[in-house]
Amino acid sequence: MRLGMVIDTRRCFGCQTCAVACKSANNLPNNNWWNRVLTEGGENMDCPAGDYEKGYSLTFLPTSCQHCDNPACTRACPVGATSKREDGVVFQDYDKCIGCRMCVAACPYNGVRIFNWEEPEYYLDFALGDKDIPAHQKHVVEKCTFCAHRLAQGKTPACMVLCPARARFWGDLDDPESEVSKLINKRKYKQLLTDRGTNPSVYYLV
Amino acid sequence: MAENNSVSKNKSAEERESISAQRSSRGSGGLIAIVIAAVIAVAGIALWIYQLSDGLVNTNMRNLSSWGLYLIMFMLFVGLSAGGLIISSVPRVFGVKGFGGIGKVATWVSICCTALAVAFVVVDLGGPQRLWELVAFANMSSPLMWDIIVLSVYLIISVVYLWATMRFENGTGSSTALRILSVFALISAVMVHTVTAWIFGLQIAREFWYTALLGPWFVSSALLSGLALILIVVVVLRKAGYLELEESNIRRMAVLLGVFTAVDLYFFGCDLLTSGFPGGSGAEVVALLTTGVLAPYFWVEVIAGVVTMVIAFTPSLRNPGPIVIAAALSIVAILCKRIQLMIGGFQIPNMDLPGVTTGPELTGGGQAFADVAAALVYFPSPLEFGVTIGVVSLGAFMLLLGLRMLPLKPKEQE
Repeated sequence: MRLGMVIDTRRCFGCQTCAVACKSANNLPNNNWWNRVLTEGGENMDCPAGDYEKGYSLTFLPTSCQHCDNPACTRACPVGATSKREDGVVFQDYDKCIGCRMCVAACPYNGVRIFNWEEPEYYLDFALGDKDIPAHQKHVVEKCTFCAHRLAQGKTPACMVLCPARARFWGDLDDPESEVSKLINKRKYKQLLTDRGTNPSVYYLV
Repeated sequence: MAENNSVSKNKSAEERESISAQRSSRGSGGLIAIVIAAVIAVAGIALWIYQLSDGLVNTNMRNLSSWGLYLIMFMLFVGLSAGGLIISSVPRVFGVKGFGGIGKVATWVSICCTALAVAFVVVDLGGPQRLWELVAFANMSSPLMWDIIVLSVYLIISVVYLWATMRFENGTGSSTALRILSVFALISAVMVHTVTAWIFGLQIAREFWYTALLGPWFVSSALLSGLALILIVVVVLRKAGYLELEESNIRRMAVLLGVFTAVDLYFFGCDLLTSGFPGGSGAEVVALLTTGVLAPYFWVEVIAGVVTMVIAFTPSLRNPGPIVIAAALSIVAILCKRIQLMIGGFQIPNMDLPGVTTGPELTGGGQAFADVAAALVYFPSPLEFGVTIGVVSLGAFMLLLGLRMLPLKPKEQE
């Protein structure tokens, strides 16, 4: 079993709803975004690539942990705080993490691994998200877990649910009959940084 | 020169011992230095406790530059610990002429440096209270785990080796056992430098780090900086009257310093060519070093290396004064290399997609320091400098205390 995600970049219009859904479902501390919608080519968020002469283009890349089939982070962690589960999810155990940040250095996908540099703080006085998410801790690394707590209840990750463009697809990449397998058989796709040999389980339809 | 030597040979060992003991060991100068080092070390520990309680937010490390000064110093001090191996174990293993009985001092310097390297890893950790997990949940595929193991082994072997040398000199240990032990010390030392390189060199995520050359290169840099440190320590101790050493030994070590510099710069050249030759993204790395934001650190290293070689290979310049300058320049050069390696690994992002940054902003003091080198992705914060000075002082405290309390002075029997 290899759980994975397919994101149709031709459908995504950069509304950031998935980023907010993730933030809310996992009760992320201030300034932490496990799922970020990046703007290709632009200097800033929602800033188009190109110039006046050649024309502009605006393309988005929703980026979170790629849940690689061959993850660099799990090999690097000295205590096994990050590990790949049987179902392909690259999991993060806050209680084990010693805060050495070796995984941050080992991960080629800059910015998906987030270290809590201080005691987690929240904009709201009350906790958001699901009741069974593990509490955020100071001085440990955290990241997208494909909403492991929702998977345990048979649900899909939170980012899947609210996407207004219906650009996200979820399923088992090992199952040829799954929606995700069919999509990557049928459509042209890319994975991020394939030259690093990590074989991400997040595919982008182009 | 010749007169001095004959005079010193005429003195009995005990006389020498007592004279130098009067001049240094029992002197108040050494004691004051020990107290100062201890006070600064305690202040550093206080800063570290503050860092743990208020958070690593007070450093200038962030999610896109997740390691900084602490691990730069870790790399530097692992390298500096190589001195004991060159001065003491290599001559014994291969049965070649040593450097005049300074093996014990060199081994003690190594032990202090290794302890400091471990300390720099500890102050970098977010959860030092979870260190026990390294034993309980050891993940043997992690180069960091390998390094923790070889560093521990190296530290233990160094201490046992020092103890065995003392026993041997007192006439109670066997020379065969000591020689066998020196073989293990040599192997573990080479492994320490190589495995430390692997923490970086095995990471395919960072173009700047991912090269098979990094292991051997760390060994050569370690030999260079380690020998340089021993040279400084020995020349200073000789000047202070702590030990006596024929100047020829210092000159021979200086030649070796020049050779190590040449090897280190040769590796650098090989690496730059391999990166730059295909053009592409490797050329970005070369440009970053030679003309980019890391250029000051690159050129200081290169120029320091050239000056070191001129001093080391010119017989008329090969005197204690210039040799100490060359040695100091060598350590500066390796520090520059470590800065290049650490910051260079983070400076060029794999995915150049700006838009969303995560994590807290720099603190006021941190921002002020970061503005000094605004082009760099990382520059240390005041707290990081404070903790680093504290840890180095802890090492100075260990070193001075050892020189005072342990029987490290050269003996007749080698």
